[in-house]
Amino acid sequence: MLSSWTDDDEVPKGEYKFVYPAYFGNRIQQAEDNPATNAGVYLGRRLFYEARLSANNSLSCGSCHMQEKAFTDGQKLSRGVDGTFSDRNAMALVNLLWARKLFWDGRSASLEGQASVPMINPHEMGQSLSASAKKLQETSYYPQLFKQVYGDEQVTGKRIVMALAQFERTLISANSRYDRYLESVENVENVKNIENSKRIDKIKSIERVNNGDNVDKIIKNANLSAEEMRGMLLFNTAPDPEKGIRGANCAHCHGGPKNYLELFHNNGLDLRSKDAGIALLTGQKTDHGRFKVPTLRNIELTAPYMHDGRFNTLEEVIEHYSEHMEQPESLSAFLQHESNIKGGTSLKLRSNEKKELIAFLKTLTDSTFIADPRFSNPFLTAKTSTK
Amino acid sequence: MRKYLFIALIGLFQMAVSPDAASAQALTEPGVKITGEVTAAQTIHAADLKQFKQVTVIRKDRDGKDHTYSGVKLFDLLLKAGVTLGKDLRGENLTKFALIEASDGYQVIFTLAELDSEFTDRAIILADRVDNQLLPVADGPFRIIVQDEKKPARCIKQVTAIKIAFAK
Ligand code: HEC
Ligand code: HEC
Repeated sequence: MLSSWTDDDEVPKGEYKFVYPAYFGNRIQQAEDNPATNAGVYLGRRLFYEARLSANNSLSCGSCHMQEKAFTDGQKLSRGVDGTFSDRNAMALVNLLWARKLFWDGRSASLEGQASVPMINPHEMGQSLSASAKKLQETSYYPQLFKQVYGDEQVTGKRIVMALAQFERTLISANSRYDRYLESVENVENVKNIENSKRIDKIKSIERVNNGDNVDKIIKNANLSAEEMRGMLLFNTAPDPEKGIRGANCAHCHGGPKNYLELFHNNGLDLRSKDAGIALLTGQKTDHGRFKVPTLRNIELTAPYMHDGRFNTLEEVIEHYSEHMEQPESLSAFLQHESNIKGGTSLKLRSNEKKELIAFLKTLTDSTFIADPRFSNPFLTAKTSTK
Repeated sequence: MRKYLFIALIGLFQMAVSPDAASAQALTEPGVKITGEVTAAQTIHAADLKQFKQVTVIRKDRDGKDHTYSGVKLFDLLLKAGVTLGKDLRGENLTKFALIEASDGYQVIFTLAELDSEFTDRAIILADRVDNQLLPVADGPFRIIVQDEKKPARCIKQVTAIKIAFAK
């Protein structure tokens, strides 16, 4: 018989340990009834790439959230099972362990609650949770896997979303050149001077979070170029033309070590946004056209940009903030009169400054994240059939 | 009445909003929701502030100039919502805090003792006016003003919610 499931030992056991840098902080979000386990994450990864969760077995989460694009799809809007396009641009799935409000308008409060939305939406995967559960129950692969995670072979919608959420929480990106910078060159160099017995441990631990690179290589990579450093300074500085201070002040909304502050703002894309954003939920005029400020981690890989995917390149994004900002009534206070020229209504950066900013943004790219085998499609390499 | 109907509707459809509804967008009156460890959860609207004692606080804003903010003490608002302040602010209640949230998701906290007039004379108010004008749109309609605090970071703008909770 062609049964696929033979090797019990393949599924790892025990509690899943999240590994992330201390500067990310511990305000992590896990549902109390759904702590991550190694087996749950193993199942969640398979479900994430499982096309049976869609009406015509054609789409999985991974179709719109592709690893090589930091879990975006490279499309302005995404095509669902019924051939229609989504209303908004597919978001990057990065460092969701810290996210409290999901979607462009923050309308979902947990990954468990979020996961069923694309599954049942007729314009996305288009299949009820119970239909999905039934399909998986009929395979010989999944019931045994569910048993290893939940204790019995029952496949339910709730168990599907729980495992998906567990896997999504593991999508941590903290290995960019900017991270090397944050850990700071000195920090790494200092270990060369500490006492021998402790030194080995320290070096090992640094190498471990750096995916096994050796310390010398890490130090070399930690250095940002002069152009990138100037870009970082602009990113973090508020412009003040009266005092002759040049700046782009991106950090006000995109700052902090995770480049994600979970804020919702109108960044002046339109005088009157076609999509009302969070105003649809709050009914407040001042919330019109306000959207989640997305993470800038891996931003080089996640074009096109903005909630409607209107910009194809980072150059176009910078042109927006520098030259073309509209002044809607609900424009964020952080962007009002924020300019390098007196009385300006957009940043008015010089062309070298635009290049510097982009150079800095590219230091946020984590090439190990998009190649990490723990996050890849297991069915492309799997020896076992899932029939 | 419309307002409540609208809120009920968003509750129902929250998971399935479509931006197409943008044109049909109804408007609700802005308010500050007080929830958590309270005996009387409520939403405060502009008109409700009138029933409390009016207080003014003068402090500098980011422009470096002094401004006169007026509104009501958070202490008075929270007492009315049944928060353990005054004679009840002792024992484990001293581990409670107020989490203030703004419409853009920004959050700050104050411990209850910081807000209690029996602990401190420093006023922390929910302001609705500055220099006798309604607050500008990007700051209001409600803003926390902390008397004498050196940095303005906790003078949180566009306040929408106050949640009282125990430190775990
Ligand atoms: C048809 C394409 C498509 C599919 C399939 C899809 N998504 Fe998405 N995803 C999107 C779009 C578009 C958004 C933004 C939607 C919005 O904000 O309204 C999004 C947003 C998200 C977010 C919010 C991220 C954040 O930072 O707020 C998460 C999490 C997510 N998707 C997970 C999943 C999971 C899990 C699956 C599989 C069950 C899935 N997606 C399937 C297109 C898709
Ligand atoms: C007032 C807050 C604010 C400031 C300041 C700000 N942004 Fe944004 N940014 C946003 C918001 C909100 C969005 C999403 C807007 C939308 O899609 O409607 C966004 C989107 C972006 C995106 C696209 C992200 C994606 O995944 O599609 C990039 C890139 C970006 N900003 C870069 C910058 C840079 C560079 C600066 C500084 C020059 C900057 N931002 C300043 C709020 C801000």
